[in-house]
Amino acid sequence: MHSSTARLEALVAAFGSDLISTDPSDLIELGRDWTRVHTPAPLAIALPRSAAEVAALMRFCDAHDLKVVPSGGRTGLAAGAVAASGELVISLSRMRAMAPVDRLGNTVRVEAGAVTAAVHAHCAEVGLTWPVDFASKGSSQVGGNIATNAGGVKVIRYGLTRNWVLGLEVVTAQGEILSLNGALEKNNTGTDLRQLFIGSEGTLGIITAATLKLVALPRRHDVMIFAVPDVAAVVRLFRAVREAPMVLSAFEFFSEACRLRVERHRHLRPPFDGRYAYYVLVEFENSDRDAVETWAAGLFEGDLVEDGVVAQDASQGAAFWALRESISESLSGTGFPYKNDIALPIAGLEAFVDALEALLLRGYPAFEVCLFGHLGDGNLHVNLMKPDAMSREAFIAAAKVCDQSMFALVEAHRGSVSAEHGIGLLKRDALRFSRSPAELAMLRAVKRALDPKNLLNPGKVFDLDQ
Amino acid sequence: MKILVPLKRTADPDNANKIKIAAGGAKIVTDGLEPKINPFDEYAVEAALRLTENAKTRVAGDKVTIVSFGPKEAATNIRTALAMGADDGLLFHADDEALDGDLVARALAKVVETQKPDLVILGKQAVDGDSNQVGQILAELLQWPSATFAMSIELAKDKKSVIVGREVDGGVVKLKLELPAVITVDLRIVAPKSVVNNVTPATHVYSDGARYAPLPMIIKAKTKPIAEAPIASLGLDATLKSKYHTFELPPARKAGKKVKDVAELVGLLKSEAKVL
Repeated sequence: MHSSTARLEALVAAFGSDLISTDPSDLIELGRDWTRVHTPAPLAIALPRSAAEVAALMRFCDAHDLKVVPSGGRTGLAAGAVAASGELVISLSRMRAMAPVDRLGNTVRVEAGAVTAAVHAHCAEVGLTWPVDFASKGSSQVGGNIATNAGGVKVIRYGLTRNWVLGLEVVTAQGEILSLNGALEKNNTGTDLRQLFIGSEGTLGIITAATLKLVALPRRHDVMIFAVPDVAAVVRLFRAVREAPMVLSAFEFFSEACRLRVERHRHLRPPFDGRYAYYVLVEFENSDRDAVETWAAGLFEGDLVEDGVVAQDASQGAAFWALRESISESLSGTGFPYKNDIALPIAGLEAFVDALEALLLRGYPAFEVCLFGHLGDGNLHVNLMKPDAMSREAFIAAAKVCDQSMFALVEAHRGSVSAEHGIGLLKRDALRFSRSPAELAMLRAVKRALDPKNLLNPGKVFDLDQ
Repeated sequence: MKILVPLKRTADPDNANKIKIAAGGAKIVTDGLEPKINPFDEYAVEAALRLTENAKTRVAGDKVTIVSFGPKEAATNIRTALAMGADDGLLFHADDEALDGDLVARALAKVVETQKPDLVILGKQAVDGDSNQVGQILAELLQWPSATFAMSIELAKDKKSVIVGREVDGGVVKLKLELPAVITVDLRIVAPKSVVNNVTPATHVYSDGARYAPLPMIIKAKTKPIAEAPIASLGLDATLKSKYHTFELPPARKAGKKVKDVAELVGLLKSEAKVL
């Protein structure tokens, strides 16, 4: 306690109260992400305005052995940005400058705190976009997107964030500023260090700016929503969509349980009179609506869908997307969800879901299961809802036991325990289901080499001492 | 009963490409925008369909005809209304800039002469120009009774009159109109119980809002007839009465401000926002 008070005084003396906040509401808000499992307890919040200030802060932390949690838009779902043990939170939210778009190279350099949706709006002015897109884009920041190699709703078309980062500016654990790869598309000069930091969840360095790769904003989208009876039908529909002569930009599915909670929380309904087991949202890019409609009508003849609607304009398309994008907030708004985000090879998805349903129905009949996800990427969001009669502690404990069986199932089906949410604190103990002992040893060796004092986001992803 | 529903296409606010204004504010640039049916006109289509169907099927002998004035591409929007359930469409080719509310009303009066509908149902206004005048001018030209801003319509059993509810300050005024008549509709006309035709069972509850076109109907609509002709074929004086002076976009929203506590918030609401 004594030493932390002394360190806080030294920190404020060195950087001033404009850069360092100990406001109790800041400590709570900036000391956590969207998860509510841990109690935030950071030492203080630093709000630097430049990479030089981030570097100076890191040098201070290095000299004073002060642990650091980098913080972006705090929309993470794995507690990767939670500061629960007296760390200094370095928030990048003041660093949100965006340079003019380079229209020849189709790139833009932005600071790490730039909000994803603001980057989209900035690039849209010249008809371009950064194709990293997800429900939380209004809050999430570019630095966090990159540090977590974020996924989202357009992965099926554009891949993960990693594909859309040309250059990175990173502050190391020692307070050095690295400029990695500039804005080069091609740069074959040995191991690409930039890739080390993408997806490292803030454990290897602090991303302070990035040069993003852009694509032309799609001219138009066709959005449609279908009703199907079971997961097998979802997979069959995916096969048909894959074979369609259109460019697929999204294939999202959700269960009736998700839909009911969206209706309760947001009063949104799919455009169907009946109720169905599963719903699928399909989006094509730059197609011709006539062709899309004719193709979609063919699905009825092949008995692939029970009902379906093609959006007749962008507003209807936005209404269909709202059904999918409000699931996460509706689960939290109507109950207490325990979240898992797993990936499976698509070919084995049906068998996996059968086994998962058997596991949950047999072992946990009291839990409502809300299943949704980016099925086209093999990505399932498995949400267990807390029964009203159960305490939060008892529920989390039971869900963690359930995790062990589910992760074993994921491992047996050659899947991943975290498709896009990352590992953070929440999935740390599950990492062994998806990474071999040799891989884990290599990850620890990299961490020790770059951050020997274990200052950066300690305890996240894996425990260095084990 | 035959109902005529005029449609205007307007820019879709959810489009990826936003509305822009040409330099000097001379005109609205709609390049890259995919227009949709003016929402109030879409509600008019929904009301017309509810008046002419028995929950799901069209009442024998009833018909809903769509009419629009605009470029050839407006056929897509008519097609959407046909997919919702309307029977046929008329498209009179015209440049958007060569139309104003007065000319559209005069053109509609001509169309009414040949189509002889029992009812013309329109949106109360288009969301782009917000002029709110076509329905009123049309009723005047036809010398038909009219009700504007309708929130409910009840068709008499003998189909010779309608009772139209209009929301006014502090209550609802109900007007009885002898058909033929002109009705312009407001947002609430698409509430689940707003339209009563005394054919659809009283127990039937419509979804809130205009219906989505189901896929099989979309395909069926591709073969429904749309008659196309130049607007000149109506033999009207093409002189416009309204001329737009300049356009400007609404001012960009200013950045928000973070306050420390309630006292500061109240202070700012008094001193800056001046709302207290």
